[in-house]
Amino acid sequence: MKLRIASFGVVAVAAWFLPYQLDLYGIHVMDIAIVFALLAVGLGLAMGVGGQINLAQVAFFGVSAYAVAILTTKAGLGFWTSAVLALLAAALVGIFVGIPALRMQSHYLGIVTLGLALAFTNWVTNSTLTGGADGISGIPVPPVFGIDMSNEYLYYYVELIVFALALGFAGFVASTGLGRRMRAMRDDSLAAGAVGAPVPILRMTAFVLASLYGGVAGVLYAGLIRYVAPETFSIANMFLLLAMVIIGGRQSILGCVVGAIALSLLREALVDFSVYAQLGFGIVVVLMVVFAPTGLAGIPSRLRRVMRRTATGERAVLRPFDPGQADAGDRVGASLEISGISKHFRGLSALADVSMSVAPGEIRGVVGPNGSGKTTLFNIVSGIYSVSSGSASVDGRVVTGRRPHQLSRLGLARTFQNLRLFGQMTVRDNVLVALDRSSMWAVWRYLLWPVGVLRGERDLRARADDLLTRFGLTDFAGAAPRSLPYGIQRRLEIARAMATQPALLLLDEPAAGLNGQEVAQLSEIVRSIRDSGVTVVLIEHNMGLVMSLCDRVTVLASGSVIADGTPAEVAVRPEVIEAYLGDSMNTDEIAAEVESEVAR
Amino acid sequence: MEVFFQTLVGGLGFGAVYALVAMGFSIVYRTMGLVNFAHGQVVMIGAYAASTFYMSAHLPFFVSIPVAMVVTGIVGLVIERVLRPLENKDFDLMLIGTIGFGMVLEALATIIWGATGHAVPTPVDAEPLDLFGIRVRTYSLVVLGIAALATVALVLFLQRTKRGAAMQAVAMDHEAATAVGIHVGRSNAIAFAIGAGLAALAGALVAPMLYVNPTLGGSLGIKGFAAAILGGFGNIPGAIVGGLAIGVLDSYAAGRFQAYSELVVFLVFTVVIMVRPTGLFGERTVNRA
Repeated sequence: MKLRIASFGVVAVAAWFLPYQLDLYGIHVMDIAIVFALLAVGLGLAMGVGGQINLAQVAFFGVSAYAVAILTTKAGLGFWTSAVLALLAAALVGIFVGIPALRMQSHYLGIVTLGLALAFTNWVTNSTLTGGADGISGIPVPPVFGIDMSNEYLYYYVELIVFALALGFAGFVASTGLGRRMRAMRDDSLAAGAVGAPVPILRMTAFVLASLYGGVAGVLYAGLIRYVAPETFSIANMFLLLAMVIIGGRQSILGCVVGAIALSLLREALVDFSVYAQLGFGIVVVLMVVFAPTGLAGIPSRLRRVMRRTATGERAVLRPFDPGQADAGDRVGASLEISGISKHFRGLSALADVSMSVAPGEIRGVVGPNGSGKTTLFNIVSGIYSVSSGSASVDGRVVTGRRPHQLSRLGLARTFQNLRLFGQMTVRDNVLVALDRSSMWAVWRYLLWPVGVLRGERDLRARADDLLTRFGLTDFAGAAPRSLPYGIQRRLEIARAMATQPALLLLDEPAAGLNGQEVAQLSEIVRSIRDSGVTVVLIEHNMGLVMSLCDRVTVLASGSVIADGTPAEVAVRPEVIEAYLGDSMNTDEIAAEVESEVAR
Repeated sequence: MEVFFQTLVGGLGFGAVYALVAMGFSIVYRTMGLVNFAHGQVVMIGAYAASTFYMSAHLPFFVSIPVAMVVTGIVGLVIERVLRPLENKDFDLMLIGTIGFGMVLEALATIIWGATGHAVPTPVDAEPLDLFGIRVRTYSLVVLGIAALATVALVLFLQRTKRGAAMQAVAMDHEAATAVGIHVGRSNAIAFAIGAGLAALAGALVAPMLYVNPTLGGSLGIKGFAAAILGGFGNIPGAIVGGLAIGVLDSYAAGRFQAYSELVVFLVFTVVIMVRPTGLFGERTVNRA
């Protein structure tokens, strides 16, 4: 950390004294490079942190630069008034371009944003308002306390200060709650919603952030060049910007800056061989993507990993679960009432008129053959699917028709059958995302009260460490989830769900893939969770676990409830045995088996 | 009414080209889950290759097309080999890797053929046909015919041959396909070569309708991609319908809004895709998104 601050200081001092070493052309190149660095930071926030494919970054840049040009030359407004309006315009366009992200992702979003960027270029090339292909010249020099800003040396300092502030803000966002939620959304948007991150708002936030950085870059560009023309905002420049972000490392804000500065300077150095420069950039991008997907910024940590492999350290161990003081107080968990839920996928009926009610503080098992609709039921209750008919309510509040993140707020948490951890975040961050219960309204603090954000972070970290200790995961806090053994990943997912402090916990096949000892630990963990005042509903195929752990069991077959009762009652019902085992089994034998399981 | 039909017919020629481009996208995507953003540039290489063989080597136009298809097929195999580690992986990386390839191809074309580009004389200079007062360019009919033939050939290949069936299997589950003994790498390479071949076909056919230059691939690729998404990504009949739809929309927008046609096309496309994110026919055979 100290090293980091020191190197920041060195770079800042170097940047401050850089102009003394440069001629007029050199400082002009640097001024342009800073503009691109701002664009790259915005793109990095949207793509690297938020996972939103944004190929309209040059359009945000263009909207703001053109807004400044039009407002100053045609409407006669002052430069800084125009600049503020230009930022607003860029943010509005950001919201507009971001709307499709609510409905689609990945390549769909890529082509839509690229199409909108093309539409923008098409408009500015043809409209008389924007001066057509000739562009707009004669933008006034921005007035700064009577200093002559047409001097590019002095302009460099203005840019440098703005850039330092913008970079600091981006780093602040990326390393605190908002950025963590965005990264969770990038890694797995379903799971992010399930732990309470409001995915639609976060997607819009990613685009608004990108557009604001594009807007600031546009204002600085208009003030620097004092002339705007369509080719600056072309698709070719968009791809160049993309190359900067990828080569630098999209998931690291600093990486984006390094990539942007490096490529801007290189492009300038190779300006007489622009075709070969393009060829070179293209080849480097391809090689980076194949061999170093995390970009330049990822190389140090890769090297470190190689070093660590050779070094011998203490082995991390999974500590036993610590039930702690199971002081539930008067909390008993929430009740769950499912009434008449049906779900059709096109013609296929997955659930038909399913009803069940779970009492507060109960451990309820949901069993049934594969394809009987158990996970569909969970997906409906947790807000991932909509219902065709019927409703579910938790503690009397209807939950069907709400978004997963809203349900998380109502005290509902779940795990997933096929593990949905945030793969590119550490174990601690996985838990932190879920611990963070702040509402999105609290983002105002990022602009007006950063200290409050930092305080909240400190508090969250302390609680994350407590939770990791409770689940015996302390040794793995800094590890990537995918590097961990399967059993530990399963436990982490439960820890993450518990971090949301739920009143109702849905576990989807928590014992799948666990060995005997781990199943016993799981059983202990689930009981302790219930004792701390949480109702638990679990889907499970491990009948031994279900019989010994659950208070009541609901049996689903072909989308309908065929039995409901205590484990001992349910297991001997002929229709259950038929659904599970076919009808040739001897009922009495199973009854005896169940008796012995229950006795254990 | 006559103007209506005139623009409709006018859009079909380009629509057929977009459909071929979209089919190229789709065949690669459905087989290996790779969205090839360099596809437009492969089309451009195809246009250059075909027009060079046609104009400089004086090959007959319809002989220069298969030669160009061989050229782009090789380009496709190179792209596939280099990007193989990314197949079925992180989408962002794929997007960026293929965009990188697009930059390389565009730069190569500029180095080989120069930045200015050239016009290609139409190989079919028959008089326009007159159908009930609507003028139809004969060349447009030729393009439509070839596109239709290519579609039929592709569908027959996918459904009637063992190799095609193997590719369908890889599309549905590449791991299961490996388990039953299909060489997934080879299947992907063939898919990529076919996609690149279709790109050359599209490029060669569009060359006499446009001015051939290194940036040709950009807008053709994006519109072809839009067509593929509009029809339902990975869906072959969808690609045809999507391509014709974009072509007709383009032609209308050009007639009605002149210079603003691109703006209108992409705004309409955005709205349509917002309403139906899976496209008109949906992703039927593969569900990767």
